[in-house]
Amino acid sequence: MKRTLAALWAALSSRALAPLVIGFFFALYIGIAFFTDETLTVLIALTGRNRMLAAVLALLPLNFACRMVVEATGYLKRRRALSRAAAALEPALYDETVELAAAPVFAGLPERLSAAGYRTRVSGELLAAWRGVSLSPARLVFLATACCLFAGILVSLVGRSVTRQPVIEGELFPSPSGTGGLVQRIIFQKSFGYFLAKDLVMEVAATGPDGGSKELGVYPPNLVGGAFVYPRYLGVALTCKFTAPDLPGGFEHSDIFAIYPPGKEAQLAVKGSPYKITLTLEKPQDGSDPYMTGQLAIHFKLVKGSDLVLEGSVPKGGEFARDGFRLAIPEARRMVLTDFVVDYGVLLIWGAGLLLLVAVFVWLPVRLFFPRREMLFQGGGGTVRACSHAEGGAREHAGVFHEVLDVLAGKQPDSPVS
Amino acid sequence: MPALKLLPQLLAWTALAAVLLRGCTERRRLSAAACAAGFAAGVLGIALLARSLPATPYGVVRSLLGGSFLVLWVVSVVALYRSTGKGRPAARSAGLTGRPLAAGSLSFFFALTAGGVCACRLPAAGGDLLPLLAPLILVLAGLALLIGALALERRLPASLTVSFPGLLAALVALLLFSSASLLRLDLFSPLSMKVMKGTHDFVHQFMESILIPDHIFVRPAIWGYIGFLFGKEVGFWGGMVIWFTPVLLVLLALRFELLPQVSHIRQGALRRKLLAAAMRERNLRMVIPGLSLAVFAAAAYQSCYPSVEYWDPKPVLVSADAAGEILIPKKGEINLEDGKLHKYLYRQGGHEARFFVLLTPTGKLSVDLDACAICKPDGYGQAEGTVICYYCKTLIPLDTVGKPGGCNPVPLAFSEKADAVHINGVTLMNEWTRTVQSTTKKEGGK
Repeated sequence: MKRTLAALWAALSSRALAPLVIGFFFALYIGIAFFTDETLTVLIALTGRNRMLAAVLALLPLNFACRMVVEATGYLKRRRALSRAAAALEPALYDETVELAAAPVFAGLPERLSAAGYRTRVSGELLAAWRGVSLSPARLVFLATACCLFAGILVSLVGRSVTRQPVIEGELFPSPSGTGGLVQRIIFQKSFGYFLAKDLVMEVAATGPDGGSKELGVYPPNLVGGAFVYPRYLGVALTCKFTAPDLPGGFEHSDIFAIYPPGKEAQLAVKGSPYKITLTLEKPQDGSDPYMTGQLAIHFKLVKGSDLVLEGSVPKGGEFARDGFRLAIPEARRMVLTDFVVDYGVLLIWGAGLLLLVAVFVWLPVRLFFPRREMLFQGGGGTVRACSHAEGGAREHAGVFHEVLDVLAGKQPDSPVS
Repeated sequence: MPALKLLPQLLAWTALAAVLLRGCTERRRLSAAACAAGFAAGVLGIALLARSLPATPYGVVRSLLGGSFLVLWVVSVVALYRSTGKGRPAARSAGLTGRPLAAGSLSFFFALTAGGVCACRLPAAGGDLLPLLAPLILVLAGLALLIGALALERRLPASLTVSFPGLLAALVALLLFSSASLLRLDLFSPLSMKVMKGTHDFVHQFMESILIPDHIFVRPAIWGYIGFLFGKEVGFWGGMVIWFTPVLLVLLALRFELLPQVSHIRQGALRRKLLAAAMRERNLRMVIPGLSLAVFAAAAYQSCYPSVEYWDPKPVLVSADAAGEILIPKKGEINLEDGKLHKYLYRQGGHEARFFVLLTPTGKLSVDLDACAICKPDGYGQAEGTVICYYCKTLIPLDTVGKPGGCNPVPLAFSEKADAVHINGVTLMNEWTRTVQSTTKKEGGK
């Protein structure tokens, strides 16, 4: 059992596991590409639905989590060895280990090592020397980044649910956990940020006794009832009244139309008749944005079969009448077609982004300017066991290490024990 | 002239044989025999296949090329992984090409593929009646060049060794260089196209995944940068990254190889001597993969600037009749059934749409937009057995023209009468507008 667990741990914390899993998905991607052009979409759908594939993907965050444990353990063990807290040196933690048949006489060595820029500690039969800053914390952050990223992807693939709902001024907010408060106003305005050119704010009145209203913006998306509010398209909620000489009973219809920006068309079929109305948002002559100003005027084309019967413009609350035809728009309100996304993987992916920034900002200067170099010399039983480890500047470090070994060997040249 | 056209392939074959022999020095004779057998099998196999199934040889050889490139990727990743570990990989992988089975099968496979590529270059490779004389002459030429490669390899300095990943990099580079001048075997252009599509999908999915707002909210400058990710430049540079990365990984793996442990030696001069020798040997092992980089670059260049002239007629202006029908006569000034691509331009209400008519090898006429559903509408040209999308350089076999999907030209509904082809002008304009809108980023377009 112990052996099985050790093998399992070795496999889960192996450096090879992540490239293997990524390679597997890459091979799957290539395989899917032979059958469809929507390769990524199919791969995403397949992984989300198939538990086996999801389990394979889950190996990635698990592997990075296990490697964090290995990295942290190694870091702590090396620190303990330097501070004499460890009983014996572990060769696996170092790049190079050698045993010399020599007495552990360290006199003069700390000075020599200090001159080479190393800090030293001598305690009994142990000489520890080190310089620079360890990359282990940065590596830990990097592993945490990868862990969060792949965990986020996994959570997103398996558990993401999206509901698209229109948010309309003057109507109840369609919160996924039931209806929310009244949408008091939808504000679309210029933004002066670095990223957004236009800002969208949906003011929603509170439903509870606490009072106050919520302002839901574009980015970062707000969380409402456990779902992220992700505005997608802008449009107008219209009520149309139409009568024609051959349609005396008239036709009244309320619907939403994603007709922003001005010029984007939507079509409305008049039920039980050969008429079709093509609607667009009219661009004001002063160049202003009708969605921002709220002055919504609708340009329409009335088509019977394939013949254009009428074309004109109707302002909000107005009507157009000619030759027995009448089109009125008694109501036009701003509408935002919004996705309600239940997906906590997003938080993990954002977190991974932040962690990556931290890891890069720590790793780069440390690796370039203060790479960690360590060497340990431990005496016992007539031999000295020496270990060396370098995270950068390895050639220079090896030179100093060999020089110290030469000094330790003293008058016993070419006398290796192993 | 055919012999001249085969020059790059034969040169690549000679270099490939020499590199193989150098890589399998312990099994030189076996490797040479496998090379000879593989080359002959490749040429004759593809020649025979071309006689029975004219379109198949290209697919087979392309699969072999693609497969070997994928294997190179795997081997290079493994090499880097092993060299950055605690072990000393040089010692572990050195014996692989010394094993008879490995040396023989490696030599046979690469010689087979090289022979296949050369056979595809033969003038009648795609035709029905392939004279067997040409393949036989090619086999003899290949064997003569193999003897030359043997002589050349013996003259190379003994210190110029190559690791297994380095050997594989060189072999794949030479194969890709050899195939890059054949439109239907070229891998770089389709790779760029796949990268472009993959990047497009990835960016789209990524933006939706982390809930980034749509273009109506984002600053045009920022959206411009995002839009850059949808262009063919990303396909090209992404393709370059995928193309060169395996060789770079092999070089990095060699560079990161741990030097021999010398801590137990108490003589500084001896230590330095050993380390210097190890570094010199390592540097020499980097020569062949280093040269492979140049061969990969040459293959990519050949792919980007092929010495092929496309048939690309100027679009003929057509108009619709009162019923909105465009009539294109089958015979007359233009013969629609001559197997050539015929382009037309239709204008209406300030808009215009391009389309072409083509008789496919199946004997049926096909009417398609001069645009596909993925790329910007740069149009198509016709080369031997294919049409090419000018934007992403993807080759579409003529027998698949008229089928929707991928980078195929978007097919149009039409009716074929005895004397003419009839196309509905409104359908054509709507289809063109829809296709162009979905492939071109426009303000407000979605």
